[in-house]
Amino acid sequence: MRLTRKADQAEVVKKPALGLNRRQFLQSAGLATGGIAAASMLGAGMMRKAQAKEVPHDAPTETKRTICSHCSVGCGVYAEVQNGVWTGQEPAFDHPFNAGGHCAKGAALREHGHGEKRLKYPMKLEGGKWKKISWDQAIEEVGQKALDIRKESGPDSVFFMGSAKFSNEQAYLYRKFAAMWGTNNVDHSARICHSTTVAGVANTWGYGAQTNSFNDIRNAKAMMFIGSNPCEAHPVAMQHILAGKERGAKIIVVDPRFSRTAAKSDEYVHIRPGTDIPYIYGLLWHIFENKWEDQTFIDQRVYGMERIREEAAKWNPAEVELVTSVPEKQMRRVAKMLAETKPGTVVWCMGGTQHHVGNANTRAYCILQLALGNMGVSGGGTNIFRGHDNVQGATDFGLLFDTLPGYYGLKTGSWKHWCNVWDLDYEWVKNRFDQEEHLGQVPMNSTGIPCSRWHDGVLEDKSKIAQKDNIRMSFFWGQSVNTETRGREVREALNKMDTVVVVDPFPTMAGVMHERTDGVYLLPAATQFETYGSVSASNRSLQWRSQVIEPLFESKPDHVIMYKLAKKWGIEKEMFKHVKVNGDEPLIEDLTREFNKGMWTIGYTGQSPERLKMHQENWGTFDIKSLEAPGGPAKGETYGLPWPCWGTPEMKHPGSQILYRTGREVKNGGGNFRARYGVEHNGNNILAEGSYSKGSEIQDGYPEFTADMLKQLGWWDDLTAEEKVAAEGKNWKTDISGGIQRVAIKHGCIPYGNAKARCIVWNFPDDIPLHREPLYTPRRDLVAKYPTYDDRMVARLPTLYKSIQEQDFAKDFPIALTSGRLVEYEGGGEETRSNPWLAELQQEMFIEINPADAADRALRDGDEVWVHSPEGAKIKVQAMVTPRVIAGECFMPYHFAGVFEGKSLEKNYPEGTVPYVIGESANTVLTYGYDVVTQMQETKASLCQITKA
Amino acid sequence: MKLTSLRSLFASLVLPLVILMGLGLSTSALAADGQNSQQIANAKTSDADLWRAVKAGDSGYTVAQGSEAGVLINVVGNEGKNIKNEYLTPAMGVAVLGVFSAFLIFYFVNGPSKLTKGFSGKMVLRWSKADLIIHWVLAISCLGLIFTGINIMLGKHILQPYVGEGVWAALIYGSKTIHDYVGPLFIVSWILCVVKWMPLQTLKMYDLKWFLVVGGYINFGPFKGKHPDSGFANAGEKMWFWTLAIFGLFISVSGIMLVLPGLDLPREASMAALLIHGLSAIIIIAFTIVHIWMATVLSEGGMECMKSGYCDENWAVQHHNLWYDEIKENGTLEYKD
Amino acid sequence: MAVMKFLCDTKRCIECNGCVTACKNENDSALEWGIQRRRVVTINDGEPGETSISVACMHCTDAPCQAVCPADCFYRTDDGIVLHNKDTCIGCGYCLYACPFGAPQFPKKGAFGSRGKMDKCTFCAGGPEKNFSEAEREKYGANRIAEGKLPMCAEMCSTKSLLAGDAEIVSNIYRERVAARGNPGAIWGYTPKVGA
Repeated sequence: MRLTRKADQAEVVKKPALGLNRRQFLQSAGLATGGIAAASMLGAGMMRKAQAKEVPHDAPTETKRTICSHCSVGCGVYAEVQNGVWTGQEPAFDHPFNAGGHCAKGAALREHGHGEKRLKYPMKLEGGKWKKISWDQAIEEVGQKALDIRKESGPDSVFFMGSAKFSNEQAYLYRKFAAMWGTNNVDHSARICHSTTVAGVANTWGYGAQTNSFNDIRNAKAMMFIGSNPCEAHPVAMQHILAGKERGAKIIVVDPRFSRTAAKSDEYVHIRPGTDIPYIYGLLWHIFENKWEDQTFIDQRVYGMERIREEAAKWNPAEVELVTSVPEKQMRRVAKMLAETKPGTVVWCMGGTQHHVGNANTRAYCILQLALGNMGVSGGGTNIFRGHDNVQGATDFGLLFDTLPGYYGLKTGSWKHWCNVWDLDYEWVKNRFDQEEHLGQVPMNSTGIPCSRWHDGVLEDKSKIAQKDNIRMSFFWGQSVNTETRGREVREALNKMDTVVVVDPFPTMAGVMHERTDGVYLLPAATQFETYGSVSASNRSLQWRSQVIEPLFESKPDHVIMYKLAKKWGIEKEMFKHVKVNGDEPLIEDLTREFNKGMWTIGYTGQSPERLKMHQENWGTFDIKSLEAPGGPAKGETYGLPWPCWGTPEMKHPGSQILYRTGREVKNGGGNFRARYGVEHNGNNILAEGSYSKGSEIQDGYPEFTADMLKQLGWWDDLTAEEKVAAEGKNWKTDISGGIQRVAIKHGCIPYGNAKARCIVWNFPDDIPLHREPLYTPRRDLVAKYPTYDDRMVARLPTLYKSIQEQDFAKDFPIALTSGRLVEYEGGGEETRSNPWLAELQQEMFIEINPADAADRALRDGDEVWVHSPEGAKIKVQAMVTPRVIAGECFMPYHFAGVFEGKSLEKNYPEGTVPYVIGESANTVLTYGYDVVTQMQETKASLCQITKA
Repeated sequence: MKLTSLRSLFASLVLPLVILMGLGLSTSALAADGQNSQQIANAKTSDADLWRAVKAGDSGYTVAQGSEAGVLINVVGNEGKNIKNEYLTPAMGVAVLGVFSAFLIFYFVNGPSKLTKGFSGKMVLRWSKADLIIHWVLAISCLGLIFTGINIMLGKHILQPYVGEGVWAALIYGSKTIHDYVGPLFIVSWILCVVKWMPLQTLKMYDLKWFLVVGGYINFGPFKGKHPDSGFANAGEKMWFWTLAIFGLFISVSGIMLVLPGLDLPREASMAALLIHGLSAIIIIAFTIVHIWMATVLSEGGMECMKSGYCDENWAVQHHNLWYDEIKENGTLEYKD
Repeated sequence: MAVMKFLCDTKRCIECNGCVTACKNENDSALEWGIQRRRVVTINDGEPGETSISVACMHCTDAPCQAVCPADCFYRTDDGIVLHNKDTCIGCGYCLYACPFGAPQFPKKGAFGSRGKMDKCTFCAGGPEKNFSEAEREKYGANRIAEGKLPMCAEMCSTKSLLAGDAEIVSNIYRERVAARGNPGAIWGYTPKVGA
């Protein structure tokens, strides 16, 4: 698409390299705080930048390959750097995910290099005033505070909130950091994003991740988006989705709201918030009724479909319409469309996951795909779009309260595996933990406190929580607390803690929404453009990012800050035993190699830094349709080596673009459903029957590989002598030589075994998905028939269900409330609202309300309104009167913050860090409700009342 | 662009606005709203309908902040531009050059209107000091606006090709700036002039006769030597006054609309204001030229009135006999010194 | 001789505003808060038939702005790009009244007088100043055309909806797409080179 200007008014100057723009750097915004006094406070890093004011156009240009740090699509970017300043951004036409395309956020990425509103140096709140401190003082004071609390209340009283913005290496290191400190109170935003997917989907067929890829959606013939709005949340995915549509695919959008994606659909289905399960059963009713299911697939590869048939039989069209509001005709039409146009894919996001029955929702979607036989094929699968750029990686690296990296869990065996990888004494690690039992739980082996409810960990009566003491100090490391519901409790918890530590490029809500005068530390972290490392996109591809610029101001990369704290705590020797440290900076590549050595479960072992960098250098050699390289240095490999990339890097596994694909050899990325739950259930065989991946020497189901199994099969001697030593007594997950995996794959078998997918998840409270009305339901008539759970203990915290649902809020709060994303902003929004190019586009927090509801309240478009929560909180926002939502339902974006219940928090920010746009946070009025398995918060089905302000 | 549609546009857009100008500025905005709701009802799923609605100026949703940002296409302004370029700009040229040269020719053919009895030397008070100040403030501001305005309207055709880029930029920027700041002065003096002089300008039956003999300025044919009746102001002056009163109002209101960006007017209103401004300017300029001709060279002794406020007694008798008779009768006649 | 045009494929535009921020990014120095050279408008928002269109200066062949401008600050390049000279612009706003697409933007919303120097889409072709000069960058932003590149908004369009380039090439791409959509079975895959 390149044209040359043939004629011009002015003469054409020969242009060096790609670069174009040399900008005025840091023009005035961050600096205009006033004369010499301000200048003396700026610190060395800042002064250096301030002097580098203008970059001449012909300054030499370096072009860096990086990846957008907003959503999980993973768009490639060419960043042009001149004199150390990020002066230009060029579209990466050769990148296999985005082909140069960007949404508003990606196209505004270069603003990261300005960072006017960033935190500029470490600060502490003292007597109600922000005071600049040195890094040394900050680390000393924060570190000491943690050690004091550890002494008094044990390691579990410090909470480690992590981030989906970490690189893989940083995410891995942060999990290790919490482990070395001795707590499982570590979590990040995946908890409130796709934790229910990870749990529900992994328990169905093995892995809880997107099964296919964005690119592969081009091959779908039908696509059903349920609770997903890629036009706003994953805009570049639409490039592939619309390509699929133009090739004839039918698009079905299921959403309470007529979203922008719905505008591109062939069929828009409105369901009442919180009725995904009845909707899916409603489709299954038609599918079973008309025998549209893929019976061969079910017989060979699915366990427990009979139970689903029984449950689906209850969901006749009348009942479905009563509960979901979808008429029979449309249900039949959609079911027929899915059954007749195959392969079809199902895509879901927060609309499906953020419910107190979220795990069951995700299982229901999987079951639909199993019934249709849409799994393990190109164009099929469950394309689960993750949220943040590296939420997939951070999840994989166990930045979660219930697992070590690689979903190993928290069992003693899991700890021993990782101690083996770390080359540390298990007893030493064990002794870092609280050794007592609390409410029958052993801290080292029990699930911690979730990201969604850390405030309950602070506020709950300590005799009721399964750890020694309340949370007294927390690190908010790259996570905005305005993404958590129940804003009043969040504020109260921030007020109550001994110390609040924010490690972030921005002050974030944890730094400003409290009413404290002391004990808050702000440590400026660098963004991913100021460091380097790998990042996992939603499709499980790993991409290497190059460092674009030096850390701005006095900020430091996350892994440097972790090292400094570890040193203060005296654990740096153990933590970095096999990682080279240059000054204060642990070597990223060594971290990659270390996790390569331990992440056998999900095949994060073949992606060495060298292979990833080679892919980075050869974006253009990968085909955008197949995501594979037809030639070049990465010939035959899939871009980014999507996990599982089995065995050691030397094995050169090409990565698995499509999970459970029996049509391919394992060595080429093929596979089958995972044998994760044994070989039988209630006397029934749950291994696959007559189905196996192409070229498998075992032509039937088989359990997961162990050393013993190799011996029984007579394949033991395929191992080398060294591999035998490492493999003895181990299995495919714990053999750190990779020998067991290598030999299994050599014989065409997948290391994790070959089983059926489970429709019955017997280890969950509901073994098959069951509809349960939301805690705050507008349909009181359905509560008796579809009640929620009894109140119970989940992980370490008592969790309420029935005691909330029993109360009738619908009378006073008649409008169902859901929340979601805007294309211009992301997450808590601190970063994007501080980007003027984006902030300009969305300047007001708003609530979408149907014209009928607006008329009832005498509201006009643009009026100020109060949104009242049944739990007492209220927020003042602008009404957007729109037919996007139906009468009785409303919608709010959740990216805004900086105003709390009508009061601006502007004065609480350190000078020069107030984002361009602030507004009320939707989550201030979103209510209680947590998934029974994963503690996902319910933000997609609540109640509210709206009144004129 | 067809002439017929242009005419109908001109009729539907400009003429009602000319009439309604004094009543309210929001007329066009309201008209646009009425049109839109009807189109929204029509435009649904069909592509053809969609494009029809877009072309008709339908408004949509956008996150952009400017006024009318939701409107994709609005052709009204462009049609206004056509009217401006095809009619008003040439008309302005005609007004300036045509009227000027017509009078020049007339002057050479006809000669000035002499006082038949010569100067008496006795000066009669005609204008107070206040009247003089108002007149000259109005006159100078008006001339300032005329010269800068003509440059704004015609400069790119008659001046720009002959001056350098920098000179042109300075000239046009200066014109625009002077025009903006002199405007308020004009408006104030115009208001005073209209209020103060209006009682003298009521139309009378004898004014009709004045027109029948072309005011007695013609020095040949059947009109030669005729001196029709006239009061303080003759019929020609009255016509000039009312023209200035009416088009002065139009030009002031439309000028205010154009010079206050903060009003955030819809494009229709702005373009209408621009057209009305131009049209009014053409008329006022034409009359101004006539007025200056009359005062300076055509009417002997006329200029003296606005210099000192006094006129020669013979001039008063010849041109404003009824007024002279009246002040003589009621004793308000006042001689100089 | 090439005639540069924009074309927005409404079947693909998803109102992601990528074009708007791409423009901000590339023309950063020339654009202040409140000035957006490009905007996305959605017709029938929230209802069946919802359609989004990205719009900026269309670089009209017979440009109304140019015809109405009293300062005559507009000119057309040989590529058919309508540009203007900010040094000559007097901030009168006539171009804004005349433009059917609402392209001209003014920095000042003052109570009285000039609106400041008009700004509009330059097709990423800079202005009358010397190519790549400081003055060009400050007043007009990028000059991608002189570098042999196309406008940033189109190059970064998330779904390849917004096309920019020679009118003939652009309309051919669009025609191919329309033909392919009418007969989806016939199209095979995706060719990033033409964005089809």
